[in-house]
Amino acid sequence: MDGMAASALAIALVGLGLWTLIRRRNVIWKLLGLNVAAGGAILFLVAVAHRPHAHPPIAGLGPGPSADPLPHALVLTAIVIHFATLALSLVYVIFLTERRHSQDVHKLEEEP
Amino acid sequence: MIYAIGGVVIYLALGVVGFLVRPRWLCGALAILAGVASLALWAPGFPEAILGGTGWGISVAGDPLALGMWALALVIHGVVLLHERARPGAFHPLLTLLVGTCLATVLSRDLFNLYVTLELVSLLSFLLVGYDGKSRAVWASLQYLILAMVGMTLYLLGVGLVYGKLGTLSLSAIAALGSGFSDPAVAIGAGLLVAGAAIKGGVFLFGLWLPPAHGYAPTGVSVTLSAVVVKMGVIALARLAEALPVGSASVALGVLTGFGGLVYALWERDLKVFLAFHTVSQLGYMLIGFGLGGEASHGALLYAVAHGLFKGLLFLAAGQAIETTGEREIARLAGRLAWPTALGLAVGAWAIAGLPPLAGFTAKGALTADLLLPMQAVLVALSVGTAASFAKVIPLLRPGPTREASSGGVMVLIVVLVGFGLWGFASRPELRQPGKWAEAVGGALGGYGLYLLLRRVRPRLPRITLDRATAVALLGAAALVAGILFLG
Repeated sequence: MDGMAASALAIALVGLGLWTLIRRRNVIWKLLGLNVAAGGAILFLVAVAHRPHAHPPIAGLGPGPSADPLPHALVLTAIVIHFATLALSLVYVIFLTERRHSQDVHKLEEEP
Repeated sequence: MIYAIGGVVIYLALGVVGFLVRPRWLCGALAILAGVASLALWAPGFPEAILGGTGWGISVAGDPLALGMWALALVIHGVVLLHERARPGAFHPLLTLLVGTCLATVLSRDLFNLYVTLELVSLLSFLLVGYDGKSRAVWASLQYLILAMVGMTLYLLGVGLVYGKLGTLSLSAIAALGSGFSDPAVAIGAGLLVAGAAIKGGVFLFGLWLPPAHGYAPTGVSVTLSAVVVKMGVIALARLAEALPVGSASVALGVLTGFGGLVYALWERDLKVFLAFHTVSQLGYMLIGFGLGGEASHGALLYAVAHGLFKGLLFLAAGQAIETTGEREIARLAGRLAWPTALGLAVGAWAIAGLPPLAGFTAKGALTADLLLPMQAVLVALSVGTAASFAKVIPLLRPGPTREASSGGVMVLIVVLVGFGLWGFASRPELRQPGKWAEAVGGALGGYGLYLLLRRVRPRLPRITLDRATAVALLGAAALVAGILFLG
């Protein structure tokens, strides 16, 4: 896949994810939407690393240009951070479900 | 540089070790000592250097901004430690990690490193906001989490666009390229970066997670969040304004957040949420100052530190009041506060209204010194509004017969605030002019008049819900990107 197609896909994913985030009332759906959006942002960084006719940025893969290694390093960090945040938010959703017996945003927003 | 990085590493290490050691506050206290030692060793600053090798690494620098934020963070950590020293469990280790991450954030000069530290700051803040396990605080924390993730997604897209076009993540390298917005991709990227940082920093219409999160968090956490953590978003915006021509966007955000936060603060009845809306409003002063740059950014730094001190004091006193009486509404707290708490609120309100001789006056004086007339008018209007909304706190200042086990935190912050104010007088002769004093007192009196005028007015402000906050943040981001793209 070339860089432009990957970028377009990434931006489409971000849009889809954010749309789900706004439209859905269930918190878990919202978090799923966010996860898709963040996946899009991460894919976008990978697309930025693209160079035409390049091999993956691993030493010893032969002559010729390699893809830019820096965004790949960033992507690893971003994935880890995102995983941690998502895990924590799901813990909070479990907590709220047990206390308030709802995952609906409108119900959660009422005074407890 | 090595001392500053060493300080951060020791701070974070002591945060981790703190999970294992009893008493829980011990490692926090040791970390503060290490932080003070490190600050003393690297003050008055160090030039930009690259951490982690030659050519490839993370740029860090110790400028006055970092210096001021370090001093503020260490003072506030000490005060929170005093107030919350009896708290068991993971509270103190998490707090130490949070402050340590803030210390790292202000040193960073790298787009992606800023992303990492800001994410860590939020992650630790989420844990602390919901620490008491009250469902309202947990819900506030989850809202914070969701909006922060939106912000960081936008920020990451911005990083990708800027790196893709300019080929570097170092802010000073980007500034040195000086390409401005010759390429529309860079302009869009800059807009996304600013929007992400604004969402993270709690700027009005972008980060509407801030009032509930700061309002419903435990006392010590509210103090830390409002005094130190909220500045991290501002710092990120200030750094971006140094590298890319987004100064005017920052000023626009500052005006928006200044008045937006103020309108909500004027009619808020819950004491801590009221203070949180004021934090939103006061971000405006800092964003305007940093956006204008030059002498104004020096004033903005002074204001950021002063705001940390007086807002920390206000949240500490308010938290003590709520803890002792069990009431949150301003009207119901009147006459029920113990005298140290009432004194803390009084001094904090005095400082936030910009009255001499406290830190608020010094900082506002430095900020407005060289501004053009329209900007000065904006800041004066904000001052009057702040005084007006604080007028409803006046009945709380009459101490009641309540007894409380007061912590020394309030007294420490009062002493620091007065010291800051006096230092301002010593170093800035123009603050000693009677005209400036008359201006400040006039502003406060005007505010009281405005309060009397508005007392009978009860507008129905739109309720802030998660869906609205998210939608507004995204629309704001789109507007910001369009603004930067088409207006430069």
